[in-house]
Order: sequence, then structure tokens, then C-alpha cells
Amino acid sequence: MTEASAPTLEELLIRIAEHKDRQAFVALFNATSSRLKAFAIQCGANSNDAEELLQECMLTVWRKAHTFNPKNGTAITWLFTILRNKRIDFARKGRYDTVLSDDLWNEEVGEELETEVASDLEAQVARTLLEFLPDEQRQVVFKVYFEGKSHSEIANDLDLPLGTIKSRLRLAMKKLETLAKEQSTWLIIILMTNF
Amino acid sequence: MANYHPNDELLMSFAAGQLPNALGLMVACHLEQCAHCRTQVKQFEALGGELLESVEEQQVSPELLEQLLDKLDDSPCVPAKPEVIARMEIPRPLRRFVPTEFDKLEWTGMSRNIKEFDLDIADTQYKAKFYKISAGQVLPEHTHEGNEFTLVMKGSFSDRTCDYHEGDFILADTQTIHQPRASMSGDCICFAVMDAPLKMTGFFGRMLNPFLR
Repeated sequence: MTEASAPTLEELLIRIAEHKDRQAFVALFNATSSRLKAFAIQCGANSNDAEELLQECMLTVWRKAHTFNPKNGTAITWLFTILRNKRIDFARKGRYDTVLSDDLWNEEVGEELETEVASDLEAQVARTLLEFLPDEQRQVVFKVYFEGKSHSEIANDLDLPLGTIKSRLRLAMKKLETLAKEQSTWLIIILMTNF
Repeated sequence: MANYHPNDELLMSFAAGQLPNALGLMVACHLEQCAHCRTQVKQFEALGGELLESVEEQQVSPELLEQLLDKLDDSPCVPAKPEVIARMEIPRPLRRFVPTEFDKLEWTGMSRNIKEFDLDIADTQYKAKFYKISAGQVLPEHTHEGNEFTLVMKGSFSDRTCDYHEGDFILADTQTIHQPRASMSGDCICFAVMDAPLKMTGFFGRMLNPFLR
């Protein structure tokens, strides 16, 4: 019998969901924790808060692994949504008079995508498509996701006309779309042309 | 199926988790009814996944995994959530913030034909309201001091050349002059979110803004 190759994140999540498999949990932690922490720091958290957020995320992974549906997207995207939601609730300290992640996203309803993402999952490449973007385009994407800036705020920050920001994002989306098609990984962002 | 949608800027910010406010709730309400925008948001989430894939790793404290493993068997401490009764008329994202069905809300009158209800969402950036325009009635022509986002929740209205129906998402800015008219067939209820007007304090502040009452 040949040595099995390292399990994918998707396989680990399914093992956690079906068997409460602690080894799979440790493997998932080792594979993703340093990036989850880094993402939180990019969003403005200090090191302590980032680790608290990381813990919250990993506990949610353990408890909610059954809500992961591979037909719906990749494991890393699912982890992104958990981190995103925990970050909001963490910032709101769970105050019920504010908007919490539960209000915005209904996690129990895992609607399947109409596009053919699922069949492409296996082909997912480790290297990210984002690396192919020119710095100036990547910078604009970062400002939306990490800093929550609107297009006009980004234009102010970078001292550039609003139209330039919009066209950079449009170019970034086009580039990612082309790359995704070429590499036949996930069918990214096909509909997005009207920034 | 809605014909008017949030733009990609809003959908991307929403997927990034950067609209946790009244505007986010409005986008969430639209998504409840719009498969097209749900697909868009999924794709922006996939972009978020790509970002997570690509960030430069940060060293995690070595003891963190041990602590975590000790906690796995604890039952989650879920704070007691105020019970939310399913009220089908109110979209799911708003149920915690709207106490009852539309009919039973305490509408306050701006006039006989237009009523409003202030939503109590702790949000420093936006004000959120429901508007109710009586069947067949028309609002006086007006424009906006900032951005105003509108989601049709019940009934329909028309404005010059466009008809807006349930689920439609409309952005009006300072350039927009409009005069909405509710359809004859019934009252029209809209969810509106607007940039909170600047609070002018002090005498000169008020002088500078003659439109503040």
C-alpha cells in the first residue's frame, strides 16, 4: 500500500464533521491557523485579539463542520466566511442592539451554487491567483477586504481619481477571471464586469 | 425576482464583512430574494478565500493548540438570545429589529399619505426607516442631501419612467430628483437607509445649514 498524500482541507473538514476526528482537527489547525491569524492582523487586530479570534474560529470549525458543503465552495472560502463573521461579532462584543453576523448570513441554509464550482474543487491549485495581479490592483482589493474602504475612500487614500480605482478593480476582476479560466480552477467571478 | 440590484461595490463589501450596519441589513434583505446577487456574493467570498490563502503567515503562540484541544468538549456557551418570533412579512435579517408585522407597527405621520417608522439599529453611520406610501399617492418631488438606499418590501411604486417592485434595491444620491408614486393596488412599504445627516451643534452650525429644522 502506498503512503496516502496529505489530506486536503476539504477532507479534513469532512472527517471532523463525520467523526469528530481530533487528529483531523489538529492537521487543519496546523495548516491554517497562521493564515487565519495573519488575516485578522491585516484587518487591524493586535496579536492578542487575533489569537482570540483564531480560537473562536477554530471552535466554530469544530462545532459547525457539518455545515460545510463542498458543493458550495472550497474549505478556505468557508474558513474565510467564519473568520469574517467572528470578526464582526468580536468587534460588536455580541451586543444585541447592533447588527451581528447571524442577521446578515444564514449559516444553516447552505445553498448550492448554480455554477460548476464543485467539479473544479479537486483541481484547486495551491498557489493563489491573486499573486498574478499587478501590485496596484491587488492593493485596491486589499483595501476593500482588510480595511473596509469604499471606492471613494480608497480614491482619497491613494490620492487618485475615483474612476482609476473603479477601473483597477475591474481590471483585477477580469484578470482573475482569465486566470481562473486558463487554469481551469474555480470559475471565478464570471459575471463581474460592471464595476 | 428583483430587477434592480445593489452594485458590485456594495456586494463586494458585504461579502468582505465590511458592511455590518443598516446598509448591510438591507443588502441581506435583498439577497433573501435575489439568487443572482447571492451568486455574486459567493464569488466575492471565494475571492476572500483567495486572500486568506495568500496572506503572509503569522507565528501562532505554541500553547494555543493545547488550550484549544482542552476546550473542544466544552459545550458552547451561547448567550441567551432574545427570542425571535418568525414573522413572515418581515425579512429574516430584520426580524430582531422590527417588533411586529407591518400593520401593527407604530407608524408616525409625516402626512396622511406617508408614514414612517424609525428602525432602532445601533449604527453611527446610517439612519434606517420604513416608509409607507398610501395606495396611489405621490410624494412631493424631492432630492437627497446624501446617499439614500431604498428596498421595496411590499407593494410597488413608480418614479418617472421606472417601476419598482418587491425586492428592488434603489440607490439615490444628491443628483437624483424624484417623485415616487405608490401603485393604485395597495400601500407601498419601503426600507430606506440614508447617510445620517451631519449633526450641527451650536448656533453657527445651524445657521450654516438652513435645511435643518
